[in-house]
Amino acid sequence: MAQKRISYAQLLETNNMMQTCSDETYWLCVTRTVQESKLFPVPAYMMLSYLNAFYRYPSLLKKIESRMSAEEIGDRARNMGMKIQNPSMGWALPGFYLLGREWLINMGLLKPTDAIEDLVYVMDFWKRFQLSWHRNDGHITNKEYGHRAQILPESRLQVFHADMYDCAEGDELHDAAQAFMASVSQYGFLISCESRISLHNSGPYKLADDREMIVRDFMDLSESDFPWLDDVAAGVPHNNITVTMAVKDCHFYLVDDWGSFEAQPEFKADKLVGVGLYTSDNLSDGYIPLGMESREALIAKFKELNEQVKDATTQLWKRIAGWSRDQMIDAGAITYFAIIKDLAHVAGVYDVDDWMKIDERAERFRPLLNDEFSRDALGELVGLVSHPSQQVMEYTQAMHSNKPVRMYSNIPYSVLAGEAYTASSGPVYPGITYLPEKKDSYTTTRGRMTFAEYNKASREFTPPTLTDKYRHLCDTWVKYHAGSELADELYKLEQARSRNLKGKGSGLKRADIEKLRG
Amino acid sequence: MAKLYVDNDKFGYQSASPTVEAFHSAIKDIVRRKLDQCGGDWDSFVFDKNYDLITAEDFAGVEKMLLDAGHKFDWSAAISPRERPEIYKPAAGVSDDDIATFSFEHPEARTAEPDAEGRELRGIGDNVAQYPQNCSGTARYIRSPDQVLKYLNEGVPADTIAIIDDSGGTLTAPILEHFKGVICAGGSTRSHLGILTREYGVPCLMNAKISGIKQGDTVEIEVTAKAKTADAYQTGVEMTANVWRLTKA
Repeated sequence: MAQKRISYAQLLETNNMMQTCSDETYWLCVTRTVQESKLFPVPAYMMLSYLNAFYRYPSLLKKIESRMSAEEIGDRARNMGMKIQNPSMGWALPGFYLLGREWLINMGLLKPTDAIEDLVYVMDFWKRFQLSWHRNDGHITNKEYGHRAQILPESRLQVFHADMYDCAEGDELHDAAQAFMASVSQYGFLISCESRISLHNSGPYKLADDREMIVRDFMDLSESDFPWLDDVAAGVPHNNITVTMAVKDCHFYLVDDWGSFEAQPEFKADKLVGVGLYTSDNLSDGYIPLGMESREALIAKFKELNEQVKDATTQLWKRIAGWSRDQMIDAGAITYFAIIKDLAHVAGVYDVDDWMKIDERAERFRPLLNDEFSRDALGELVGLVSHPSQQVMEYTQAMHSNKPVRMYSNIPYSVLAGEAYTASSGPVYPGITYLPEKKDSYTTTRGRMTFAEYNKASREFTPPTLTDKYRHLCDTWVKYHAGSELADELYKLEQARSRNLKGKGSGLKRADIEKLRG
Repeated sequence: MAKLYVDNDKFGYQSASPTVEAFHSAIKDIVRRKLDQCGGDWDSFVFDKNYDLITAEDFAGVEKMLLDAGHKFDWSAAISPRERPEIYKPAAGVSDDDIATFSFEHPEARTAEPDAEGRELRGIGDNVAQYPQNCSGTARYIRSPDQVLKYLNEGVPADTIAIIDDSGGTLTAPILEHFKGVICAGGSTRSHLGILTREYGVPCLMNAKISGIKQGDTVEIEVTAKAKTADAYQTGVEMTANVWRLTKA
């Protein structure tokens, strides 16, 4: 028996977070979509990814925190459109780990009392990251905030607001932006093997009584971490692209922890009235404008990117169509499992073997993963919630379903009263892949780098707004210190690349920004 | 034989799917047997010995057990029956061989005799986005990467209303924007295919329950109907759009 190192308070909190994830995962799954594809064996790769997450996340998160805390990475996540937002962090980090755990329990390979220290740690990492990333809206998840995500500080929102170009249905900018967003969304689904995890939306942010802004991130687009993008995505110049999007007479009433939105009235092309375009990563010190120097340049940039993305889509689709089933499963499982890999990039401890391989402990299960078993096992896990471990006393009425079920098994408190438990599933084991080895080329905002160069640059860089001098100067502090020398310094850092706000400082309010836009 | 922690479960009995239950029961038998072999100490078994004791060969044996009993698995990805046709149910409508006679036949498809305008109701679906006019064109089934590759190389024929049972966004990725319309037999208006057709401005019905539509038929989809909302799915409100056949191929 392991030493008793877990407290009652830790168990209470861990079980609470698991229940919150359980409630929301059920809602997300049943109100959204059945994941299916004639191209990819989606449920098969999902099930494999959950096992990989269960076996590897605890060790990899500890490796990341050996260089940078979850809270500090959360601060950095606010400063860029990299893949440590949603669905990565709000849902997948705890979700994938917990789904792996639950499946193993139902195969008799795990007890709810196993790997408890791992479990407590994973949930605690998640909590600390989420609270930091959501610092400005003060919630742990979008779900807790009534399905909205107001992540960004005023200093950044003012730049997005001020520099956005107006557009209207039928004009050239509107058409170019719409065409690009359609193409890059489709490319994102293909990169991510049918999942939506290359796409993220945050907001809404109120621009005026009749206008709102959504910030849309399209991530992992270029030759970078995924071996399947080597060469075919070399023509896509930016790995992460952010589109700021203003809408009129349309309210985004739901922005969830999968990064999806819903609007009333329905969001259609005629509602789009403003756009901006940026790129970013952990080396960029915030968002770098793309084509934002003039309306004409922005139209040209959208068109150029659209062609680059469409070309990459066709090349990638042809590559994937020639894959074996094992290669498809590998790519999908890695896409899912490595949804949080950018945590390691930010900390400068990224390793291809950590994130682009299937751990041999998870690999054992591959022979189970025919289409039918995978579909049914997954459906029971997240939709029907019908596996034996998920059934609880008959008096229970679960949130949303009213059934006596719980998606994720609690840790029994009996471990505090002497019931035997185990602490950890162990270190990372060797991994395998059916895909070609990753080419040593990573697209960053500082150009193409080798893996070693990228890690080194990540370790050496702290964005100026996140240095000790400014990191904790939050919007509440600005409220009482606007116009001070220090507040102006902070805002001028964000405004350095702004067409309309450069050097304006901290004293402007939303109406002033609107006037500056002309 | 060793007893597992989950063998004494007051509320859980078995998984709902017979296939899952058969697999999980067989796996639990393997765990009991291997646990016995190593002396029955769970704590040293769970994260240490079982990594060597329970192998891919053991799991392959689980699948073989069902196959030996005569079971054939459902398939969803075209690659699966292509690589292992012996374990999956036969695949129809995925090549030119049988496409002329293939049709989706949903048991709940709503059908009716031709109306005054000669439109024969052949089913319903959930409208993704509302358009000012209905959309009509030539029905063409697309169910495999080979069919997509053909259209990618030769071009999508004009006025194609693609009939798809894949609600994902990847199968038809390189050709989707060239469809005049889409009828998808799966998913919801928020499925990936629904999201993408909305972005591209391609009229689309999801979750379509259709019957009798053959390759080359001229069809009309009622995209002037209201788009089905998240609330409608959550509250079970019926909001459907019609699929009519105008002429047979």
